[in-house]
Amino acid sequence: MEHRGVTPRPADVPWVRTLEAPDGVWAVFLQARRRDAHVYVGDVHAPDAEMALVLAKENYARRDPCVSLWVVPARAIRATAGDAAEMFEPATDKSYRFGGSYRQQQRVYRGGYHAAPTEDDR
Amino acid sequence: MSTMPAAGDEPELLERFNARITSGDQIEAGEWMPAQYRFEAQRLIQMHANSEIMGALPEREWIPRAPTLARKMALTAKVQDEVGHGMLLYRVAETLGRPREEMYAELVEGRARFHNVFHYPADTWADVAIIQVFVDGAAMQTQGALRSCSYAPYSRVLKRICYEEDFHIQLGLDVWRALAEGTPAQRAMLQDALDRWWTPIIHFFGMPDKVSPHTETMLAWRLKVKSNEELRQQFLRRFVPIIFEYGLVVPDPGLRWVDAEQRYVYTEPDWDELKRVGRNGGPKSAERLALRQSFYRQHAWVREALSRWSTAA
Amino acid sequence: MTVPAPSSTITDPTVRAAFQEWLVRIADDELAIGHRHSEWTGVGPDIESDVAMSSIAQEELGHARLFYEQLSGEESGGADRLAFGRRPEEFRNAVLLEQPNQGWEFSIVRLVLYEAYETLRLGLLAQCGQEPVAGLAATLGREERYHGLFGATWLERLARPPADARARVQAALDAAWPYALGFFETTDADGVLLRAGLLPDPAERQLDAWEAAVRPLLERCALAPPAGRPCLGGRRGIHTPALTEMHAAMTEVWASDPEARW
Repeated sequence: MEHRGVTPRPADVPWVRTLEAPDGVWAVFLQARRRDAHVYVGDVHAPDAEMALVLAKENYARRDPCVSLWVVPARAIRATAGDAAEMFEPATDKSYRFGGSYRQQQRVYRGGYHAAPTEDDR
Repeated sequence: MSTMPAAGDEPELLERFNARITSGDQIEAGEWMPAQYRFEAQRLIQMHANSEIMGALPEREWIPRAPTLARKMALTAKVQDEVGHGMLLYRVAETLGRPREEMYAELVEGRARFHNVFHYPADTWADVAIIQVFVDGAAMQTQGALRSCSYAPYSRVLKRICYEEDFHIQLGLDVWRALAEGTPAQRAMLQDALDRWWTPIIHFFGMPDKVSPHTETMLAWRLKVKSNEELRQQFLRRFVPIIFEYGLVVPDPGLRWVDAEQRYVYTEPDWDELKRVGRNGGPKSAERLALRQSFYRQHAWVREALSRWSTAA
Repeated sequence: MTVPAPSSTITDPTVRAAFQEWLVRIADDELAIGHRHSEWTGVGPDIESDVAMSSIAQEELGHARLFYEQLSGEESGGADRLAFGRRPEEFRNAVLLEQPNQGWEFSIVRLVLYEAYETLRLGLLAQCGQEPVAGLAATLGREERYHGLFGATWLERLARPPADARARVQAALDAAWPYALGFFETTDADGVLLRAGLLPDPAERQLDAWEAAVRPLLERCALAPPAGRPCLGGRRGIHTPALTEMHAAMTEVWASDPEARW
């Protein structure tokens, strides 16, 4: 991992920002199939939410499967600032979140799953 | 903008910015960027958006006259896609600081630029085939290369655009094939359209790049990825064989493949024509801008009504 | 896929002819409105609505093709021959649908009036018992629902704000309404279909249902249909110069060589 000097950040440099979208821009989220999460696919310009939904259907779901749409005024979105990405990079060992190092225990655990199913499992 | 740096920060920010790009990184909307980068990127993307909107005009003339129901639906869908691309591209240009309404008004008033090919007439049904195969094919070369450009929102939109343009070329090849394998009159119409469109298509990629500070900057900032000549050669390699496969004639008698150089040589086109057209002086420039203006004025009350609705909502 | 002609199970030739006439009306209506809607592609009032209207156009053209295919049976190219090969006086579309796009407000008003009619008509067709058209009619209703939503959403936004905007929309309604009444123009075929049980409701009842369907939206928009006589002729092949012009454009390339593959 690249070594960076630790420069103390001034307390007043914001890590939360807006997308600075103009008024009338709506972010569109599309759910492809039931059970899928809604995914951001782009924006539309529209005077209000209802029109934004009507327009989003043909502007973003002409070819792609879709069962549901959300629209949100892009101005309402709050985002992390670009340099906040640094915070998301793991700095120390987080393997305790993953089972990877516990090989023998994994074998035992998964072995139990592959045994004949009981009434409980049905 | 709350993260606007103080003047003294700029050289350090610029250095970091350049280093990011050199390392292959992409810049997101809202991140710091030098004023010149913002200007160049915005101008490039706006011209692309303008071209999609103006590009709809020659082809939409043939929607009412498409010769089968299937062709009618397909052509409507294709032109619809171009308009949709305009929508996506204006939004990207907007993230660089100009409202869409302002860019659109500038286009309509004739103060903005759009690609040369859309200043030419679409005189026959066969022009539709030529536009969908060769004009879209030409655009694909540039758009494909720019997928690896440095401005992330543009790069993402280009991936979607290239995906859809692929369908357009396939569609175009179906129309091309029907005409090329059709009656003598249909073949003649197709050859005639190809003849008329050839020079504008060769022009499309621009003059061979001079070594200039501007070109160097654009390449360094990855707002230009391949040179004009590289893209033109790429286009010729991919599309000239189609002409031969169907027994049609390449309109430039001077075009030939030079094995030793691994490239096509071609008759140098008149670059003055490209300059004239670029200043909105092409054969159809005035008429098409007038059409846009006429609809823009006709719809003014609609825009007004919608903006009053949204303020009240 | 070989599809039996829809009227193949109707033994009485008069009834069969009447049923086909009904299908021709539907196909011609969809072709005319699809053609007019498609003319907005690239020149709509905003980019997103341009795209949405274009989808509606494509769907109407797709519906037209479906019904022409039903009428022409297995004959390949039959749908195109019906769409492009007949003379204007053989068309049975309502005259409202052949009129040019006289401004976005006119197109929206026309769309609203037509979609309400088409939804009811597809409902009647879905009950006629003739397959596969009855089944088709049920499916097409899904697309028409979106068309109605688009129209209503737009109409509300055009007609609500200050007086000058609403006045334009009212003027469009005044122009369109008498021609919309032409949807319900009858010929002998209607009586035949009623007696044969293929149509459950006579035209007067259909008109009432349609008016009941559009009035709430018009009232919400403070719009009022004009009084006055219906403008008829389309169902009997009596059309306006607008159809001649539309037909000439539509058939220009096809007619240059009807035997060619395009």
